[in-house]
Amino acid sequence: MKVLDLLRLSTSNLFKRKMRTILTVLGVTIGVASIVVMISLGLGLSRSLTEEMSSYGSLTSVTVEDSSNTYYYYEDEGSSNTTEEKHLDDDAIAELAALPNVEQVVPMLRMDVMLKSGAYEGNYITLYGVPDGYLESQGAELAQGTFPVGGNGQMQVLYGNQVLSQIYNPKTMSGYWYDGTMADLDLMNDTIFFILDQEAYWNFQYGGTPEGGEAPKMPKKHIFETSGILAGGPDDYNSYSYNIYCNIDDLKALIKKEFKNRTIPNQPTTATGKPYKEIFYNMLYVYTDSMDHVKELQTTINGMGYSARSDAEWIQQQQTTMGYIQLVLGGIGAVSLLVAAIGITNTMMMSIYERTKEIGIMKVLGCDMRNIQGMFLVEAGCIGFIGGVVGLIISWILSAVINMLANTMGGEMGLSSNISYIPPWLALVSLVFAVLVGMVAGFFPSLRAMKLSPLAAIRNE
Amino acid sequence: MKAGEKAVIQVTGLYKVYKVGDTKVRALNGVDFNIHRGEFCAIVGASGSGKSTLLNMLAGLEKPTKGKIVIAGEHMETKSENELVAFRRKHIGFIFQSFNLLPTMNAVENVALPLTFQGMDKSKREKLAEDAIKLVGLKKYRKHKPTQMSGGQQQRVGVARALVVNPEIIFADEPTGNLDSRTSEDVMNLMKKVVREQNQTLIMVTHDNHLAEYADRIFHIKDGKIIKIEDKRESAESGSVESEEKE
Repeated sequence: MKVLDLLRLSTSNLFKRKMRTILTVLGVTIGVASIVVMISLGLGLSRSLTEEMSSYGSLTSVTVEDSSNTYYYYEDEGSSNTTEEKHLDDDAIAELAALPNVEQVVPMLRMDVMLKSGAYEGNYITLYGVPDGYLESQGAELAQGTFPVGGNGQMQVLYGNQVLSQIYNPKTMSGYWYDGTMADLDLMNDTIFFILDQEAYWNFQYGGTPEGGEAPKMPKKHIFETSGILAGGPDDYNSYSYNIYCNIDDLKALIKKEFKNRTIPNQPTTATGKPYKEIFYNMLYVYTDSMDHVKELQTTINGMGYSARSDAEWIQQQQTTMGYIQLVLGGIGAVSLLVAAIGITNTMMMSIYERTKEIGIMKVLGCDMRNIQGMFLVEAGCIGFIGGVVGLIISWILSAVINMLANTMGGEMGLSSNISYIPPWLALVSLVFAVLVGMVAGFFPSLRAMKLSPLAAIRNE
Repeated sequence: MKAGEKAVIQVTGLYKVYKVGDTKVRALNGVDFNIHRGEFCAIVGASGSGKSTLLNMLAGLEKPTKGKIVIAGEHMETKSENELVAFRRKHIGFIFQSFNLLPTMNAVENVALPLTFQGMDKSKREKLAEDAIKLVGLKKYRKHKPTQMSGGQQQRVGVARALVVNPEIIFADEPTGNLDSRTSEDVMNLMKKVVREQNQTLIMVTHDNHLAEYADRIFHIKDGKIIKIEDKRESAESGSVESEEKE
């Protein structure tokens, strides 16, 4: 029997029983639509989650911290495990940059500073030294001014958009965090003093003169050139908004000059508590080429004696969670498709009972048994296909409606992208799946039809 | 029986036993006969005599319990169901009592159905079907659906459908059982004429002795055994009814 004739026979059978075909197709339609919409929700959620994660920081970087920055609970028990503390210097950068899959190693130098301007002050604000061009490459946006550039004698600083909220008036106790009033400062133009040695400052302010020693001195106040302010209001958090940035080499030189031979805050010390001669970086950002390599890289770096951390684990956890959510959503949809599949089986079984005689005649007239089976499989597959196509169209409509609703009222939820997302592969897979479900549902009935006795055609009723 | 003529059907020692509860029912109890090409044979017997069982086994719709059936040189008893279907498709035409035309198809499509199963092109099979319909005198009705035709016309379509594959043998199971006597005669005459013209072999099962008179040979069957074979041709030649007792 020719395939075309087989198709013609099958489709004419579907047409003959229009109402039943329509009802069965409706079942598949609902099944496919619910699966596709559910999965599209899962995909949309996972996509907006990925976008959100990347706004918190790079998803492709490993952060290597100086071991003195991390908390050691076993410090008193001596360095039993660590043979040698590895500090982050230019050699370390070279070593890490040589690792496979590493694209870039960015050093960071940190210094907690105090800001003073008129009646206002801000304590423990973090000043980061970064290489020129780093902030631009990370996509930081300026509200005004330019990014700081080093090496021109005068150190330039860039304020994060939330720095101002850290500054308060200690006399009146007014500030953003106290009574909601923003410090009346123009960071671009007002003179702002930076105090690097805060310990000395507190000693000068409140500490007495130690016995036999000299009275504490007021530490040096610095004035830096303001290069710019980052974009965003006092409530728009990003990973830069609370910090001040400057060129890393400028900061290094400044710290060296400021603290000569004294213990430098945020810097490692020797076993005897003495400061090292050189200034070490507080942090290295190791950028890798893809998210998949982060975990592996982190393990490698830790194995080298550094203390590395990354968001990989967290991201992986999030992805697993999203996977579960998608599975549950898909499962809910799958239940309705299962019901639809049972509907197909039922329809085909009924059809076979009705057509027992017809099938018998065909067998007596010499219709190949596989053709009979094929006829029923094609019928069931057609129901699946039509249901799949209609279901997809409905899914697209539903998806558009969901996105419209979500976008009109979900703006404050911070979901920037559509929460329902049907990629082309989902459409294709669901269509193939619908046809497959139809065929599987029709398989048992088709087997039954194939095995029907031709004697049914002979019997006279 | 003329010597040298090759038998189209050879049946030897055919038994069919049904188990009904604990008792065994012998529907066929040792049947032997040969049928030659171009013969029109009638199998006559009362209800429950085993005639339908015999026909079903000749057409490969049922398996014999014991015995051999050789049709066109091929053993039917050893074939699988699918092989039997393939065999019917190529070598056998079938005329049913209740016509068994597919209600959704018109006359031509119904006649062409066996050719569809053979995988023949649409244009070719419709031409052959039209020819067969002309042969049974239904040219005017070729686009009619079965419901738009009388019983006699439907059975003519059935005859055309059996003829269209140009089979080795045509089986007819009570072909006039659902027709009135006048139409029955028409259909019988048509069958006889067509079979004669096309040199087809026709085996007809009936309970009606009168209809059996149309046949060349009549097999009388009772309790699963052939009790008498009448040869109308010989009797016509010799002028006397010759009967053959079978044990």
